Amino acid sequence: MELSHSIKRVDTHPLQRVLYSQDLLKIPKFLERFVKHPICVVQPESDEEVRAVLKISRKYGIPVVPRGAATSAYGGAVTIKPCIVVDFTRMRKIEIAGKKAVVESGAVWLDVEKELNRHGLALRVYPSSAPAGTVGGWIAQGGYGIGSLKYGGIGKNIEWLEVADFDGIKKVGGDELKNYVGLFGTTGLILRACLKLRDNVRIDSVAIKTDFAKSIDLLDGAYHGVFVNRELAKMLGFNEADLLLLSYEGEAEKEGDKELGSRMWENRFNLFRAGREREVVFTEAILPYETAPDFLSTVDIPVEAVFTKDNVVFLGFIPVGNYYRAALKAIKFIKIAEKFGGRTYATGMLFPHKGLADYAGSYKKAIDPDSLLNPGKAVEGNSFSRMIKLAEMIV
Amino acid sequence: MNLREIATKCSKCGYCMTCPTYRIEGWETVSPRGKIQLALKYLNGDIEIDQKVAKDIFKCSVCGLCQEVCPVGIPLIDFWEELRRELVQKGMAPLSVHRKLREITFRNYNPYSGDQERRGEWADFEIKPAKTLYFAGCTASFRLQNLAKSTASALNKLGIDFTIAGKNEYCCGSPFLRTGQKDIVEKLFEKNFRYWQRAGIERIITSCPGCYRTLSLDYPKIAEEKGYEFDIEVIHTVTILDKFGVFEKADIAAKATYHDPCHLGRHMGMYEEPRNIIKKLGIDFVEMERNREQALCCGAGGGLRSQFPEISFEIGRQRVLEAMETGAKYLITCCPFCEYHLSKSAEKLGNKIKVVDLVEIAEKLISP
Repeated sequence: MELSHSIKRVDTHPLQRVLYSQDLLKIPKFLERFVKHPICVVQPESDEEVRAVLKISRKYGIPVVPRGAATSAYGGAVTIKPCIVVDFTRMRKIEIAGKKAVVESGAVWLDVEKELNRHGLALRVYPSSAPAGTVGGWIAQGGYGIGSLKYGGIGKNIEWLEVADFDGIKKVGGDELKNYVGLFGTTGLILRACLKLRDNVRIDSVAIKTDFAKSIDLLDGAYHGVFVNRELAKMLGFNEADLLLLSYEGEAEKEGDKELGSRMWENRFNLFRAGREREVVFTEAILPYETAPDFLSTVDIPVEAVFTKDNVVFLGFIPVGNYYRAALKAIKFIKIAEKFGGRTYATGMLFPHKGLADYAGSYKKAIDPDSLLNPGKAVEGNSFSRMIKLAEMIV
Repeated sequence: MNLREIATKCSKCGYCMTCPTYRIEGWETVSPRGKIQLALKYLNGDIEIDQKVAKDIFKCSVCGLCQEVCPVGIPLIDFWEELRRELVQKGMAPLSVHRKLREITFRNYNPYSGDQERRGEWADFEIKPAKTLYFAGCTASFRLQNLAKSTASALNKLGIDFTIAGKNEYCCGSPFLRTGQKDIVEKLFEKNFRYWQRAGIERIITSCPGCYRTLSLDYPKIAEEKGYEFDIEVIHTVTILDKFGVFEKADIAAKATYHDPCHLGRHMGMYEEPRNIIKKLGIDFVEMERNREQALCCGAGGGLRSQFPEISFEIGRQRVLEAMETGAKYLITCCPFCEYHLSKSAEKLGNKIKVVDLVEIAEKLISP
């Protein structure tokens, strides 16, 4: 009641609450009992409305779970306590000034890119889920995407963020960004981001048939580089061969198949096509360049490797026969990566125990002592992560 | 179609949230992804669907954009129609206006309350028997008669020997197939098909993409279910004009853009024929940002305009604004329903762009 006085768009319908309790992560039936439906869903349209939600959250001790398009598979938007889901998709304004863009949290990446293109500008980096993923959602998850070979992860391409917590709204930049990027909204709700941009130079792509180790030597000068093993290339409808896609800002600097390169570039958002014939489970790991070839040689599933400025991100596709077996295989993928000095790609609800966000534990406590901001994620454990820990022992 | 099996394929990627209705309404129960998830839970017996959610399921123009962008290739157009049928069977639909239109059509054989006896009155020529039938459809027969007249004139100019069914032409049933009311479609099919058989019709030409889709895709399926042989070729007017039309150059100095009707484009894959005609007419043509497979719906189809006019007109407004952004003075389409709806939407925006049907322009310029 109090909420509907403070915010225009509130929904308490039971089935709406069911839908807003989940994200891209597929939760097996026996684990569904750990999911708690939210009390309501709100869709703020202004900073004031976000402030009002946080005020009520603190007053009544009700957790808030921020949500973008819910396209992450780490369960960051899954509700594991009765809570208020704060869906940011109605906050999607894009303002362009000079070579920077200030973009609200709920703006969809591809919409931002299209708007920038009208001004002769382009995003430096964006996720492969850009047709649906939101700005706030990807920043909250952290990570790498298209353009990360030249420009690094999303964290390196943000000038500043505006975030809301129980003390109000603040602007954070520089070293402070690490307390928000990749923390799934556990330290504050991302309202808007000032993004670093590039000129909208035409992207020229080539595809090269080569193995993974040799691919690494070919990356110099490229804007975006992806290796696709033959199994995945077949699933995506490309040649049945190990393929390297190299995309350049301007003329391609390496010789290769331009037609195929252009087709692979055009299909850069279409990884889900791998699940066209048969359901797949996704798994991801980040590895240093030094050990990435050895890691890949131990893996026998369809794989894509995204080359970044810092490391290599591997995305594995596990065809599902038995869901539980596939899930165990996904966990094993990460365990093997860890043996090679790698790590899981993100934390979210599934992997807080991996310690990726431990550095932010004390910051979280100071900002959110009652753990109301997306509790049980990133810096805190939960029933799911405990189950995964157990599964890791079995693996 | 096994709804459950199909719903299971959804990866929840959210690419379908480009849905024009979802972009307006903003709630997951209106998004294709959300509806698929609810359908799955409903079919698994985990939830009951109530009237509010049933209504949300109908907040969709069945434009097929979700199917176009779905990376796992879910046949969503068929899925929505089947899901709606399921809701009708369970008594949660038809929704009030859809029910009313059905009652009108049961009485009048068209959803416009038009007098069936006067259905063919637009025809200003002598009707002779022929093996080719021009099927005008309800909108051109009762609302946009100029389109029916232009089409008939174009066919005459092209030397095509054709007839019309007049009072023996009945609504094809498209609005009812899209809203889950298959029983009335079967009745309409029987009426139309029996007449066509009696008249020895071998080919049907239609100027309405909704009729075109229904007669060429849905009627053969219904015929098969009923054990009839459906051996009639169905063609849209633009195919005829593209194939046989030789035109004089249009005397239009202003720029024009083209709106792809969903039933002609995404439902039937016909994108180039209208553009070829526009090119042949020498019109100064400019594409809208969203065109062909990615085109924005006009907002009228799937029972959306009749049941949810606010959403429908908001989509119409967005489409007209997109057309105006190109600098075009004419918005060409080749669907009477799109033309009607976009004209009304343009009217609300001060008539800064004129909505016209391609057949009406082309007919005037067919070289003798």
